[in-house]
Amino acid sequence: MAEAGSQTPMEDAMRRKIIEALAPASLEVFNDSDAHAHHKAMRGSTSRETHFRVFITSDAFKSKMQPARHRMVYALLKDEMATEGGIHALQLRTRTVEEDERAKAKEAA
Amino acid sequence: MAGQPCAVTPIPTEDAFNEHISSLPSSSLAVIYFHAPWAEPCKQMSTILSTLASTYSQTSPPSISFISLDAEEVSDISEQYDVSQVPLVVLQKDGKVVESVTGTDAGRVRSAVEKHVATEGAGKANKAGLPPAQTVTKPPPSQSAADSAVHTNGDTPSTTEQQSEEDLDERLGTLVKAAPVMLFMKGTPSAPQCGFSRQTVALLREKGVRYGFFNILADDDVRQGLKAFSDWPTFPQVYVGGELVGGLDILKEEFENDAEFLKDYSVHAQKA
Repeated sequence: MAEAGSQTPMEDAMRRKIIEALAPASLEVFNDSDAHAHHKAMRGSTSRETHFRVFITSDAFKSKMQPARHRMVYALLKDEMATEGGIHALQLRTRTVEEDERAKAKEAA
Repeated sequence: MAGQPCAVTPIPTEDAFNEHISSLPSSSLAVIYFHAPWAEPCKQMSTILSTLASTYSQTSPPSISFISLDAEEVSDISEQYDVSQVPLVVLQKDGKVVESVTGTDAGRVRSAVEKHVATEGAGKANKAGLPPAQTVTKPPPSQSAADSAVHTNGDTPSTTEQQSEEDLDERLGTLVKAAPVMLFMKGTPSAPQCGFSRQTVALLREKGVRYGFFNILADDDVRQGLKAFSDWPTFPQVYVGGELVGGLDILKEEFENDAEFLKDYSVHAQKA
């Protein structure tokens, strides 16, 4: 599980921080960087860890509105987002356990 | 075929002003904005007005006309309208003043205009679905213009840096309220420069939401300032009623969870 020599340092850091701070019931990280690699904003960048979609289910989000939840995650990843060639775009889905169950039930219906 | 959005037309002389006013049909609303280049609050009002203007489509004959006058240059007109302070927005119909608004409250100006503009409900419906509100917000006059302006009360401004930071904050505070729904995006609705901005525009259009927009790629002060102001590191950013709602993902979720989300700002709401 050593991070040394990992090909995905950004993702590793993201997972570690989110798990540590939010003890999520579920955490999914999707790397969409390839889809954006040719975009103007990415010109000159060699990073393959620029665009992520992250789905987090955690009761740490209870009684918080969506902007507040996203800010919690942004705060955790502040350094990774501030670095040159670091995380450029982050799509978040932040649900509580109850909300996630409700959403899944709706989908199944 | 969508009409072009309105803009605020500066009028330099009294003759030009009289000519313009007499060319307007009697049902049309003239929004006359008196400003002075040295008055700080006028910068905000200029932004508010051009945003408001762009939410109206040009029609022929014009149902609404936005003009701006340098209060000191057209002093006879200023006297005529008894302009004692700027910024001042005078609403006039058929040669008669129907309302005037002082101060920089975007909400008050907008409600005054909406109250008096000729109802064109039928006309708008013919346009096959009102296009979402468009804004072209030009960056404000450069800082150097403000510095060289005469300060009437003799106060020397605090160090330029501190002054411009406070100015920026104030400007952002006004900008986020420039329209009931404000979209800060990369590019413009007709030419988005980022996939997430493009999707946000598409989503708002699908829901028929009227909104103002600001292209953060055109103004780096706002781009960086807003990240701090909103405490939000990414764009696009959607503000409703001066409050940050979030980015594309939050917007999608809100629409999914709440069928009524932003219904108040939607053209669809006008259907009986």
